[in-house]
Order: sequence, then C-alpha cells, then structure tokens
Amino acid sequence: MSSRTARTTGSLAAAVSLSLVAACSSGTPAGPSSAPASSAAPATPVSIEYLHRLPDGEGMTKVADIVAKWNAEHPDVQVTATKFDGKAAEMVTKLEADIKAGTAPCLAQAGYAEVPSLFTRGLLEDVTTDAEKYRSNFSEGAFTLMTVGGTAVGLPQDGGPLVYYYNKAEFDQLGLQVPTTAEEFTAAAAKAAEKGKYIAAFQPDEAQYSLSAQAAAAGATWYSADNDQWKVDASGAATQKVAAFWQTLLDSKSAIVENRWGDGFKKALTDQKLIGTIGAAWEAPLLAGDMAGSPNEGQWAVAQLPQLGDAPMSGPDGGSGVVVLKGCPAPAQAMEFNNWFNTQIDGLVSQGLVVAAKGAMTTPEPVKAFYGGQDVFAELAKANEALNPNFPYIPTFPAIGADMAQAADRAGKGEGKVADIFTAAQQASVASLKDAGLPVAG
Amino acid sequence: MTITHEGHNRARRRREARTGLAFVAPFALLFLVTFVIPIAVSIRSSFYRAKPSGGGLYGGGELVDTFVGAENYAQVLGNRLFWDGMGRVLLFGAVQIPVMIGAALALALLLDSLLVRRVTIFRLGYFLPYAIPGVVAALVWTYIYSPRMSPINQALEAVGGGIDFFAPGTILGSMANMTTWTFTGYNMLIFLAALQAIPGDLYEAARIDGASEWAVVRRIKVPLVGRAAMLAVLLSIIGTIQLFNEPTVLAAVNPWMGKAYTPMMMAYNSMTGGVSPSGAGPASAISIVMAIGAGLLAAGYAFLQRKTV
Repeated sequence: MSSRTARTTGSLAAAVSLSLVAACSSGTPAGPSSAPASSAAPATPVSIEYLHRLPDGEGMTKVADIVAKWNAEHPDVQVTATKFDGKAAEMVTKLEADIKAGTAPCLAQAGYAEVPSLFTRGLLEDVTTDAEKYRSNFSEGAFTLMTVGGTAVGLPQDGGPLVYYYNKAEFDQLGLQVPTTAEEFTAAAAKAAEKGKYIAAFQPDEAQYSLSAQAAAAGATWYSADNDQWKVDASGAATQKVAAFWQTLLDSKSAIVENRWGDGFKKALTDQKLIGTIGAAWEAPLLAGDMAGSPNEGQWAVAQLPQLGDAPMSGPDGGSGVVVLKGCPAPAQAMEFNNWFNTQIDGLVSQGLVVAAKGAMTTPEPVKAFYGGQDVFAELAKANEALNPNFPYIPTFPAIGADMAQAADRAGKGEGKVADIFTAAQQASVASLKDAGLPVAG
Repeated sequence: MTITHEGHNRARRRREARTGLAFVAPFALLFLVTFVIPIAVSIRSSFYRAKPSGGGLYGGGELVDTFVGAENYAQVLGNRLFWDGMGRVLLFGAVQIPVMIGAALALALLLDSLLVRRVTIFRLGYFLPYAIPGVVAALVWTYIYSPRMSPINQALEAVGGGIDFFAPGTILGSMANMTTWTFTGYNMLIFLAALQAIPGDLYEAARIDGASEWAVVRRIKVPLVGRAAMLAVLLSIIGTIQLFNEPTVLAAVNPWMGKAYTPMMMAYNSMTGGVSPSGAGPASAISIVMAIGAGLLAAGYAFLQRKTV
C-alpha cells in the first residue's frame, strides 16, 4: 500500500525527505479555519483536513480531484486534502506535535502496523459508533485492522496481501510451473538456479514487513492477548516454516540476496536474472515501473502466494487506513467523508491501491499491459480475501524493524541463520513492550 | 543647577539604556526562542517519560508525562547501542579530523603563498562543497559508492579491481571521505583568514635574516595559526559527535547499519519510535548525554592544547 510505497519508492528519495521535515512540520496547510460547527449555527460548513501519503503520480486520478467531487456535493462539509512528503514515522511525529498544539487535521493516513502505536500514543479518537455504520462497505479483515482491542479508530483504505510475481515467458522457457507450495517452490528455484536464473529474492531491508507477512501466511499469529497481557510468539512453529523455507533457498544458493530498495534488485529484474519475486499487492505497479522499457514488458504475471503453512493463505505486508485524530471537532462528518473517500474504488485503484472497500476493481491499462493482459487486480483481490484474519500488531511494532533487518542482512551474507531474524523479532517485541510500559508475558 | 544636571544625566543614561536594549533585543529574543527555550525544554523532557495512562494491551489510548528521575539517563548510559555508536564516531573523528585539518592547512598555505594566482577562484572552489546541502551531498556520494552503479568501481573493474564502499569495515572510511570533501574547504577558510591576518613585516624580517620560504612556513605561519587550528578542531569534534546526514542516507540502502549507527541517529529514531525506548524523554536524554560528551571532549582538547602551546 501506499504509506509503504511512498516511504520506500526510491530509498534515496526517502532520505531527501529528511531535509524537508523542518519545512513540513512548520505548520498546517492553509485552508478554511477548522472551527467546530456549533449546533447553534448549522449554516456554517464544517471543515475537515485530511493528511495523506498517496502517490498522486502521473496518470492517476488526483486526490484533490476526488475530494473536489465530494466538496461539490457536500457544501456543508468541506474537505481539504494535503499530501505529506516524508516518511510515515515523520508524519506521526508531526501529528503528535500538532495534536498537542491543537492544530492537527481530523483525518490522516496510517499503516495498519502503525495503528496500535498511534492509539497507545494517544493520537486517535474512538469512532466505534460511526465506524459500525460503514462496516459492511469494507472487507472484514481490513476493517478489523482499523480497530484496537475492539475500538474502531478509522476506516481501511487498501490492503497489501503478499502475492507471487513471476516472468511467465522465462518460466515457460525453463519448463517451470508456477509453484503452489513451499516444496514446489524450492524445487523450481533449484532448477532455475542451474540455468543462472532466480525465482526469488531475499530482501533484508524488507525483513520486518515481508517476513512477518510470510509468517502470517504460514498461519502464525505473532501477538495475542493472554490474561490482559501481550503474548509474543514471533518465532513459533508456523514462523519456523518460513525460516526453513528461506534457509533452504539461501543454502542451496537458489535465491539471490538483494535489498528491495537497492539498485541491485532493479538491475537483476531488468537483466532478467531475477524472474520471480514474492511481493505485496501494492508492488504490482511498482514492478511494472521498475522494468518499463525492458524486454520484461508483457511477460510478467501475478499468482497467489505459494502455500507456506498448513493451508493456502496470504499475509499482510503493508496496507493502510484513514484514522480520526484526537481532538477532531467533527468526528461524525469526518467519518462520513472517510467512508465516501475510501469507497471511491476507481480513483483509489488509479493510485495503485488494492482497495479495502467491497466492489469490483478494474485493472488500469498500463498495469494490464505489463502483465500480459492479465486482470491483475482480480488476482490481487483474491489474495486480499485469503489474508490471515488473525495477525494484529503490537503498539511498539515500529521499533522492531531495525533488529530484524540487521539479522536478515547477516542471514543473507551467510553469517547467521534466517531463524535468527525471528529470534530478534521475538526479543525486540518483548523488550520494546516493556520499555513502553505495556503488559507483556515472559 | 547640579540637580538639573544630574537629572539630565540620568535621563540620558536611561535613554541610552533603552537604545542599547533595543539594539540587543532582536538578538536576545531570537537567542531565547531558538536556543535557551529548546534547551530548557529538552532538559525538562529528559526527566519525563510518556507512559500509558490506563491498563490493558494498548495502555488505554492516552499517554501521561510521568516524572521518572534519572531513569532515561540510566537507560542511555546502560545501552550498548549508544556506546557502540559513540565508539564509531570517536574512531571516525580520531582518523578523519587530523586528515581534514592537515589538508585544510596545506591548502590554506598553498593559497597564501605567492605560488597561486587567482586566489579567489581557488578559495571559492575549495569552499563550494560546503555550500551543497549535506543530504544532497550524501545522496550524490551514495550513488558514487553504490556497488553496481559506482563509476569508480566501473573504472576499477576494467582493470580487475573494485571496492565495496558499503562493507561494514569500510563504510566509516567512506563516510569520512564524504565529510572530508565537504568540510576541508570550510576549515581552509578559517586558516586562510588567520594567515592573512599575519603582518607582512614578519615575513620581510625573516627574509632579511635569510629564512627560506619553508622556514617561514614552519617558524612563522604554522605557529601563528595555532588559535585558528584550535577553533577548527573544536568545531570538528562537535560536528563529528553529531554525525547524522551521512549515516542516515547510507543506512537507507544498508539496512545492516540499523537505526542507531551514530548517537544522533539513535536520538532521532528514538523520537520517531524506531528505537526503543522511544519518545521525547529518552530522545532528549540521548541528546543531552551527547552534548555533555562533546563538551567534555572539546574542553579536554582545549586544555591539552593550551598546555602544549
């Protein structure tokens, strides 16, 4: 999804944004004053500000245009949408300061994995009553990700289920079938590696999101409640299946090791050395963009993630929703817009999102062309349906990424084991929960 | 008569005081707003921790600032991540600062000698890297270092070589090269200003006594820029402790560096939640320990310098 897309599209660009933090935090965008609509004067239109991180790229239906449509139809609820150009974590820091200063927008984009963190930090409004009204418009799994211990804090926007991307033409040439299980996958990888081709890339920089999602696909639940305490199980039996899967691929040298956002990954794709990769649904247009102008065009296809556990499932790698921030003077109107905006399927699909709203998505033409005419979004929607329904995140999930990436880097270099990544996740989860003063078992 | 005179004096003094205050006011105000208040706020914040107000898995959805005494400091001082980062910047400084200061002094002496014509062009040229924003420079260098696109490596590969600029054992050197490139010109300006302040009579007298150019450099120029050198080294020590742009940009493509490669990165990522314990309290404590560390190092250096000179 896009909070991750924007965060990582060109890891270097993300770094540039550092220099913009100061500028970004220096004030809320100019707009109509957000004075609460008092019941005494119903004629005054309510102003809602919405801070997002959608790409708003070339050929997409711009967020501003979608919002303009709402504003034209709703003279009494006027919305101003502003794009935040920076990392997700920086946006949260800005929102935290704005909420303290009483100048925060009503609505903001937040990654599913970050929602519990925002809630614990006291940044979110309880909008359970309003959310229930719109519940049936969204897929149940996504709706649940916008709730924290039963309290709804917003509505879902898009999902990032894992799928398998592969170069169909190359697969045919090598006589490979699309693998549907971990065993078939490692066998196919070994066969491809003999010919100098790779059907998977181990991505240390994406360890936190991609590997946790793969663990979810294998049936793991990392975080659960036990006696009103967190029970952390980030290295249990289901997760170990993922560790063994990658360890086999790495030991037999049938997967390449490349950071997802390094130049080596893109080069391996364009050179057709890397002919398959496990990725999130939001990567569909990104991969097409990375390989634009290469012989890969029209050759690729999307399939469901191979079965990693006991049942065919996918896992959530990213995805985000729109939360209502603490102090919003008009939560009901904000939620009304929230529901309307996140059900504008065509506009959101044009932004590269696999929407959380129920309804048919039409694959945009450029994406369709890259994937050989496949109805890509139908396949992605299928993956969305197959998400592990039980994979909540802890409020300190953002703090465990560095340890996982460092362990993943060592595993990729052969200096450590893949299982160490999950041991690191386990330890960092428990330690960060304790640091944050939250109850945790063990 | 005397009374009116005194009254007049008093009035004038008051008027002068007012004028003086009016002149100082812009500075004092900005100093207060951008310097004193933020420092006071972070000192206060370093003794507090935002803690969940309620029980339960998500802590009740509200944080309260709680006084925790020296807990934040104890956690920083007991955190291996912090000391690893400190170790890296100290190693970095021990190598990079002498190299950079030496290069800056050499360049300044060259420009100050009669050998170089069109001093302005060179002065501006050497200074130019400093004018490029740090993050932009770091991005450019990241491209130059990047394993597969590095023009340096492409040239080296042609003769069968190649350097992994991002290897864990090399990356500090890669960063040192970046900062040396940026700051040598800046430090050169400090030296050049000091050199040009040396009265010409000294050189004249030395030459009459038969001193060679080299002797003039060794006996007059270098000793007389001692104070400038001290300033340059002090600024470099402080800058090194706060190393941030270069490692942050490099960490974007080298996840093994983590989020606490240098103490400044650790402070920043504690603030944004990427390093635990997170929040304003722990982040402030890291910053203040860093500031104290930089202060001690700078004071230690100044003390040694004064003893030897």
